[in-house]
Amino acid sequence: MSEEILKALMQLFAIIARQDVGLSHGERGFVESFLKQQLSESSVNEYLRLFDGYIEQEVKTREEKPGSEVRLTSVKDSVKILGIAKKINRTLTQKQKVVVLVRLFELMNSDQNFTSQRMAIIDTTAEVFNINKQEYRAISSFVIRNKSEELDIPEILISQSQPNKNTNSRFIHSPQLNGRIIILRVKSVDLYFFKYSGHTELFINGLPLKANRIYNFANGSVVKQPMGKSIFYTDIAAKFISDSAESNVYFKVENVSHTFTNGCKGLENINLQEISGKMVAIMGSSGSGKTTLLNVLSGVENPTQGKVIINDINLHSDKEKIKGIIGYIPQDDLLIEELTVYENLFYSTMLVFRDHTSMQIAEKVDKMLTSLGLLYIKELKVGNPMNKKISGGQRKRLNIGLELIREPSVLFIDEPTSGLSSRDSENVIELLRELTLRGKLIFVVIHQPSSEIFKMFDKVVILDEGGVQIYYGNPVEAAIYFKKIDNQINSDVGECPKCGNVNPEAIFNIIESQIVDEYGKSTGFRKVQPLEWARYFKNFHRPESPIEKKVDLPGTLMKQGWWRQVNIYFRRDISSKLANKQYILLNLLEAPILAFLLAYIIRYIDDPASGVYIFRENANIMPYLFMCTIVALFTGLIVSAEEIYKDRKILKRESFLNLSRSSYLLSKVSILFMISAMQAILFIWVGNSILGIKGMYFEYWLIFFSVAALANIMGLNISSAFNSAVTIYIIIPFLIIPQMVLTGALFSFDRINYNLGGGREKVPVIAEIMPSRWAFEALAVNQFMNNDYEKHFYELRKMESAFNFKNVYYIPELKGYVETYKSKFLAGDTNPLAEADITLLQNEISKENNSFYAEHHQIFFDDVSRISPENFNMETAEEIFLYFAQLENFYRESFNRVNGHIDRQISEMVSTPEMRKEYQQWFDKHYNSPLAAFAKNTFAPLPLVRLGNKLVQKIDPVYLDPSNQKLLGFRSHFMAPNKNLAGKLIPTFYFNIAIIWFFTVIAYFALYFDILKKMLLLFERKDGKMQTSINKNGKTTDTRLRFINSTENEKILLNTN
Amino acid sequence: MKKQKTILVILLLILGQFIAGCQQGQQRQEATDLLSDSFRDGDLRLNDAMIKEMISSVPNPLEITSILQRTGVVYSQDLLNPAGNVNDYNTNFQRALNLGVYGTDLIYMNIYERTVATLRYLSNLRELASDLRVEQFFDYTTLNRLSESSKNVDSVLYITNTGFDKMSRYLIDQERSHIAILISAGTWIESLYIATHAPTTAANKETINKRIGEQKKVLDNLLLLMNSYGQNSNFDELIKDLMTVKKEFDNVTITYQYAEPSIIESDGTLVVVDNSRSIVDISDETVKNIASAIAVVRNKVIE
Repeated sequence: MSEEILKALMQLFAIIARQDVGLSHGERGFVESFLKQQLSESSVNEYLRLFDGYIEQEVKTREEKPGSEVRLTSVKDSVKILGIAKKINRTLTQKQKVVVLVRLFELMNSDQNFTSQRMAIIDTTAEVFNINKQEYRAISSFVIRNKSEELDIPEILISQSQPNKNTNSRFIHSPQLNGRIIILRVKSVDLYFFKYSGHTELFINGLPLKANRIYNFANGSVVKQPMGKSIFYTDIAAKFISDSAESNVYFKVENVSHTFTNGCKGLENINLQEISGKMVAIMGSSGSGKTTLLNVLSGVENPTQGKVIINDINLHSDKEKIKGIIGYIPQDDLLIEELTVYENLFYSTMLVFRDHTSMQIAEKVDKMLTSLGLLYIKELKVGNPMNKKISGGQRKRLNIGLELIREPSVLFIDEPTSGLSSRDSENVIELLRELTLRGKLIFVVIHQPSSEIFKMFDKVVILDEGGVQIYYGNPVEAAIYFKKIDNQINSDVGECPKCGNVNPEAIFNIIESQIVDEYGKSTGFRKVQPLEWARYFKNFHRPESPIEKKVDLPGTLMKQGWWRQVNIYFRRDISSKLANKQYILLNLLEAPILAFLLAYIIRYIDDPASGVYIFRENANIMPYLFMCTIVALFTGLIVSAEEIYKDRKILKRESFLNLSRSSYLLSKVSILFMISAMQAILFIWVGNSILGIKGMYFEYWLIFFSVAALANIMGLNISSAFNSAVTIYIIIPFLIIPQMVLTGALFSFDRINYNLGGGREKVPVIAEIMPSRWAFEALAVNQFMNNDYEKHFYELRKMESAFNFKNVYYIPELKGYVETYKSKFLAGDTNPLAEADITLLQNEISKENNSFYAEHHQIFFDDVSRISPENFNMETAEEIFLYFAQLENFYRESFNRVNGHIDRQISEMVSTPEMRKEYQQWFDKHYNSPLAAFAKNTFAPLPLVRLGNKLVQKIDPVYLDPSNQKLLGFRSHFMAPNKNLAGKLIPTFYFNIAIIWFFTVIAYFALYFDILKKMLLLFERKDGKMQTSINKNGKTTDTRLRFINSTENEKILLNTN
Repeated sequence: MKKQKTILVILLLILGQFIAGCQQGQQRQEATDLLSDSFRDGDLRLNDAMIKEMISSVPNPLEITSILQRTGVVYSQDLLNPAGNVNDYNTNFQRALNLGVYGTDLIYMNIYERTVATLRYLSNLRELASDLRVEQFFDYTTLNRLSESSKNVDSVLYITNTGFDKMSRYLIDQERSHIAILISAGTWIESLYIATHAPTTAANKETINKRIGEQKKVLDNLLLLMNSYGQNSNFDELIKDLMTVKKEFDNVTITYQYAEPSIIESDGTLVVVDNSRSIVDISDETVKNIASAIAVVRNKVIE
């Protein structure tokens, strides 16, 4: 109770008390005990002094005018009351005002002094407070009257041992209660007041209750009597609401059975029928299929037989129609540990309500937190169970709140009380109980409930091993039912007559009791097998008449627009990441620190005597480029590898919300891309600066970022597909190491296994699918071609290289074949040249005819068809020889010309000593010789090789454009400067980046459709089938337990420990 | 707004890249244009056969350095062109000259079996050859392997020497005789430099001086070859420098005494012996002057 109310009350009390006869002893006693109930000792005195002060004031004013002792309320008092009431109006809510009014009544009731003046004051106050006339009357009769027949109005609920004779008031029968409990509901403000007249010692929320005192019966309150049933807030609320809330959900389970993929029975012929407003417990020993039942009922898993029907709609076949009606709260935490209690609920709510503004949602969230009793910790971070910030009970309540806020009509909850204290457990179940009042149907899997909790359920379903339904009905009756079958004494009493406890453990003891041998040791065989129990139950249970009522489903879920979902997911993820300082710091520092370490270590000075770092001489630039790719892959994977995995529980819950996967993924992807882009900037900036790589920051960044982005999505794929963090981290090497091996940097493609395509003209296919190879090639080619130095000469040198190759290696090699022919022919050999060699000549000459330079030299060998094994003769040989001579001439001339041109350019650049120095510096800063040697494949054992009937150039790959002109012949040799696409040459840098992004898009689709996970499932299913076949053939029969539920097994282990 | 701006910046950067790519396209055009030029008529030059003959008259470095070793002249590391200089040679002119210089150094080192140090010279040789696009004449991997052991000195020397010979012939065939001439000039300059600067003793001084004196004819041939490239400023300068050396060589007189050849029996076969003799008259003073003149030229070449 707030200070304002208290002050106002003291003032009003004072005015009322001094009316007529003045302050009676009883009245002061009431004020004092009232204050004691609300406040601590010291504050009580403070307010009591305040009250006495007001009284004195009143008395003084009266003494000053001794003559004016009239029996009417003085005008002054009326004005004063009006003043106070108006002031109260401004500061107090309607709820608080009702409380004030009730207290005023109580004051007068304390000594039964209802004079007309006093009544007049209260009337005035009620009027100013705008309190509904009818409710005002109800309040006054609730306070003043005690007899049940005087209280026959709909706002009142009476609980007593005598039978009910009233027609309007509500009634709860409490056979063991002395006197009666009267409860008032003030509907407009949704408040309940409670008073008791009698001698039984009752407890309200665990505190002893004083007779005839009026209590505010708050949400979740419970009144306990030593004997008999406790009265819960929910019971009372149910009585008042019941006639207003119409059942709108009919839930029917018909003959549902479920068989696991490995062939074990999970559920056997389950039948249920429920309507909204009920809370049903699902119980059973470990491994009896409780969670399976919950999963089947909620539609997470499909039953192998039977159906689940909600209002005539089949839950499993018509999922779309029912989406949003069902809520599922798994046993695990669904909270994002980095976010606060409030934020967790806020973002979750945002995802659900489309037409609400943030303000409205904030209001909703606050309301929810209030009803969950979590408002006071709303700014606390959730933390995780290891690193506790809020208690287990609070976590559980918040978990439930996530689902409650969207108000699903049917709610499935898996073990909401596991790991909670008994007080917390009761709170949680009470919270659920309250929900049933609002017409929710709730199924709860519960393990070892306390008696209190057990009794709170409307119905209980008991499963036995193998998912056999052996009981369905009232919980207290369950005890009686099983005791009866077990022939126990006292079997017709469900609960302990003295303490009112029902022991659910006893039920399970009966169910699972084992046959004992003559020494009293249990034999391990059960007295009654599950199917036997099922038979008993079939005989006992008379199915309720089927419900055939057709009702419209409650409004289905409102879903967010796609963009807004992205936005919310994005904000949620960002705030959870920002809240984790360690994460942010590590991610920001990881890249630059790695870059620093790497670059600093490999900042190699070729001539240690000089001590001057010269970029051109650093032999480690190629390895650096390689490391850039690998670091990009690594950081990209690591940052994303746990992302979806971490969210998997939340995702499971949100799958009931009909949210779009793409918006979730897009928000994830964009956040990860942002992180990777940032890391790329830092890495490249630090690494390139230290190594003195001039310019090209953007190009480096783009490649690093592209690779990291792809790795992000690869990481998301594995984090979505695998089900433990360890697996994920085991998978990472599988993704990285082949990429390292097949970059082309560590192992030359010429020297890998020939069966895998090593030593061929083009990059092996197995390497083509490695993003790292594209990235590394792009980096290396770009660094070689586009550095400020080589840029100036590249095209010239490319031609020079081509001419040189033709002149020095290619034409002489071809000429060799013709020479062989000639000499052998002259020696009289009948078969001077092998067919393959002739084909090779034909191939190469036609290639030369079509070469890029052919249009310049205009030297053609006109009829290539003559160079065929059938037609080849001496004349052709001579012609080819002549042709080669012409070509050689052209290539020699061209080479000299280009070579001279380059030499002249350079000579001009170094014509004076200063210019030479400048040139040298320019050269040293931008060109890297070891990388150039790599790009030009200077160390190739052979400049050209024969592959089949083709000659393949091995040196100067970076100066050689691929020759394939086919539409999709984009594959080329390693380190090609350009790639062929649809007959057009595209610079390797852009082409490779495009390829990486192409991979990224594919990976994104794989992620969107969760292809990896589906493949894994397929694999597991095969595995499962194999298991069953073993079972069929082998001896082991009861392997079921092993497969059913690993978490359950863990629990068994824990329990035995 | 901020997002849009970033996107805009990225787009601009990408656009910039494409423009840069187009520039490369222009460069390609420029390069291909070079091909379409009509072939320029060469200057009046010596014919190839003549050049080949004259180049082969330039003694190969092995001749001079082996005499040094045989006569007991001590090896001197200081005489070599420092290996690190290789990076300073940017033009074909410099590269060709220094290819000769390093070749001589390599042979000099090998003669004295300084095998470890040769590796860097070998790689220099290879680098220059590769820049000159004559790398096919150095089987680098083989040479590298051979250089690891002093037992293979002969093979190394053989491969290097024949490599140089083949390279010269090839270059002349390829109408790049100026490169061939420069390589020869480089070897000769370095050989003469080593010969004139190697520490001699009284015992071997005469033999070596005689050898130095004999270079007078070689220099004349070299100058003749180079003069055919007189229009090139680089050549002109080198010729001018070599002329100062020639001036010192003018003080050397070589007289040729003819005598009837005779036939003698050696190891059971008959051998014709040329009994003619060239008598080289060279003073210590002249040797000293030649030494300082060639040092000037050589240091200019290797700088």
